[in-house]
Parts: sequence; C-alpha cells; structure tokens
Amino acid sequence: MPLAKRIIPCLDVRDGVVVKGICFKGLTEVGDPPTLAVKYQEQGADEIVFLDVKASLAGAETLRAAVQKTAEQLFVPLTVGGGIRTFEDVRQMLRVGADKISINTAAVADPTLISRCAGAFGSQCVVVAVDAKRTGDSWEVYTHSGTRPSGRDVVDWTREVCELGAGEILLTSMDCDGMKNGYDLELTRRIVREVSVPVIASGGCGNIEHVTEVLSAGEADAALAASIFHYGQHTVRDVKEALVERGIPVRRCS
Amino acid sequence: MKVTVADYGVGNLHSISKGLERVGAVVEVSSDPGELANARCIVFPGVGAFGAAMEVLRPALTDIRTAIQSGVPTLGICLGMQILFERSEESVGEGVSVIPGCARRLQAPRVPHMGWNEVDHSGDGLFEAIDSGEQFYFANSYVCFPTEKVSISETEYGERFPSAVRKGTIFGVQFHPEKSSAPGLRLLSNFIRIAEESA
Repeated sequence: MPLAKRIIPCLDVRDGVVVKGICFKGLTEVGDPPTLAVKYQEQGADEIVFLDVKASLAGAETLRAAVQKTAEQLFVPLTVGGGIRTFEDVRQMLRVGADKISINTAAVADPTLISRCAGAFGSQCVVVAVDAKRTGDSWEVYTHSGTRPSGRDVVDWTREVCELGAGEILLTSMDCDGMKNGYDLELTRRIVREVSVPVIASGGCGNIEHVTEVLSAGEADAALAASIFHYGQHTVRDVKEALVERGIPVRRCS
Repeated sequence: MKVTVADYGVGNLHSISKGLERVGAVVEVSSDPGELANARCIVFPGVGAFGAAMEVLRPALTDIRTAIQSGVPTLGICLGMQILFERSEESVGEGVSVIPGCARRLQAPRVPHMGWNEVDHSGDGLFEAIDSGEQFYFANSYVCFPTEKVSISETEYGERFPSAVRKGTIFGVQFHPEKSSAPGLRLLSNFIRIAEESA
C-alpha cells in the first residue's frame, strides 16, 4: 500500500476553547482542546490541527498552555497555527509540543520567515496556510483570518513558499469554508499539480463523500475537516471505513 | 532506565520525552554534549537540521562516539538517525559516524515524505509484537543508506529505503515512534527493554 492519505480533524481554538465558525464569521463553542484532540486520536485521526482563530497576542500564552497539555497525551502529530508571527513564536510553539507550525499572515508579510524556520527546524515542521478566494479565473491569497486580500495570486504564492522551504501547504477555500457543500476540487487539484510538497485540502467538508472526492478527484494528500467531527455527525473511523471501501489508502485503525 | 535526550536547541522535545516516560523511562533532556558522552542511554530526537545538530554535539563528539561504540544503547529518530551516519547531503561536515554510510535526499515526486507509511521489518527485537507492514508516521526529506548490512526494516516511497537500522545497541529509525500511536509506543518500549538488558 502506498503512503496513506491523512484525515485531519481541525480544532479552531479561541481563548482556549474549541469553536466552529461559518465563512470565517460567527462562532459557537464545541469543547476543550486536549479532550477533543485525544477523542479524535482514539478514533484514528492521523494528525490534529489547532488553529487559533482569534490570534491575539494575549491569546498566545493560553494557546501554548493548551498545546502543552494536549501534547502530553497526544501520540499523533499536532500542527498549530494562528497568530504565529515571528521566528521566536515558532520556536516557543514547537518547544511546548507542537510538531509543525502553520503560518499565513506572517509568511505573506515576510516570506523569509519560511526559509528561516525551515533552516532551523526543518521543512517538515513548516506548514504554510493559504486562504484562497476565487476572483474570476484565479484565486487570491487572503490574510488576517480571511479578512484582508493580499493581492497575491494563490498559484504563484504556493510555488514561492515551496521554493522558500515550506514542507506542506494547508489550502483553504474561503468560498467553500463552512458551507458544507464540498471542498474546492478544482483549486485543490490545481495546487497539488503545481507544487512538490504535500497539500492538505480544507474548507467545505459536509459529509464523507466530500472527503472521498477531495482525496481522489481533488488529488489532495490529506483532508482537513471540522464540523462533521465536532457535531458527532461522523467519527474519523466512519470516514476511513468509507475510504477503504473506495480503495483509497488510509492508516488502519485498530 | 534513565535516558538522556539530546537537545539541539530547536524543535519539539516534549513529544519524545512524553513517549519515553509513557513506556517507563526516566528522561533527562540535555544540551550539554559532555553529559551525552556520559549518558547510560541516548536518544537523538528527530527535529532540526543535520549541520545545526552536529554543531551542538561537536565539542564532545569524540567522547560521544566512543561511548556509543562502547555499547551505550542509542536510538536516533529521523534526523537523529541521519546524524548517526558519516555525512548527509543536507549539510557539510561529519556526522556522529557510528554507522558507515550517508544520508541523501529522498528520490520521490513529493517531498517531504509526510504521513503514515508501511514498515516492512525482518523481525528484529526492536519490532517485537509489531506486525511487519505496520504503519508509522514519517516526516522526512532525507534517507540513510548504510554501507554495511544494518537495515532491519524497509519502506517504499518513491524508492525503497532502510526505515530502521541496528548495529549492536545502536538503533536508528527514519519514522517518528513518538508520533506513531500505539505501534510507536510499543517500539519505544522495545528499545528501552533492549537497553535495560544490555546495561
């Protein structure tokens, strides 16, 4: 069997609590970060992502505490993003137990942050998050939790970040995020074919079929999802069983 | 068993420490190469870059090498496996050089090799109670090619490469046992048992 496609539950964290929003707006609380992370680990999650959606300076300490508490009980990889601005922020987040860090706004503001982090910590822990919004025939990179257009083209930017040493792309379709109508397959496939690092598809997952689609037709290496797991609609195990039936390689859950 | 985890000053040491503690080891993290040279059991974790890690070890490299070669049980994880070799394409300069051979860039269409992949092992004690073909978590851009027959498992990604090696009490694994759920913890437990038996 080839390298397994990964299923990654995403926990949007605000003030130390897991929340879920729609189209980057309107949030409801769904639980405590370590408890949910461990629950998903037991269901067979291949990785866990924490995204600090508030990303305030004051919140960084709260997030690090949540990461540290989670890392004590988590034996699958943990990626942390949101509000990571500097090399020192990255170092501290890895130090408390994150395996990878995800950067978006700070990378756009200063792309050398990518190369500096890759040089010091290794590419494998540098995930560049790209929030993509469709404008006509192309996609534009947004920063600041999806509130600011950067003027950068998504295809050009993803190519650039890979040259700088990014080890992975976390690609979120802002048009699809929270809509539960499926991932943006066209966007995902376009970026997968453009870059030579793994691509995690994000935004729009509403059911198991969507995961299957993005890992097959969308050609993604991994699928990130939040609400289908948080509300008990499906477990990670349900998703994997469906993927196995379709012949998509996954990590077997015991 | 007291285990000294090498701290190169970067990256996540929390996970490997928790993993080792979970399987009963007493963990000490040290950035002092002199302490590593006197350790009873050494773990080189899998974070950072080859050159930077070797810079930290350099002041006591000869002593560390002598200790490992004299039978101090050692486990290198990912980058920590690569530095056990003589050199790497990643950075100039020598490695710890306790296993002959070198690390070079993985030949695959999509690098880093990121995620869960199968480890086909040949029944070494490090894999006791772990099925051959079990999946472990990888996050690597480089792979090691020993010039001696020390490979105890292989994995396929773009090419077939040794995913674990053993030379006496020196072990290297290209995957991350501390991030590989139950099979990974089992492997760490096996390493600690082997280390205790050889003490």
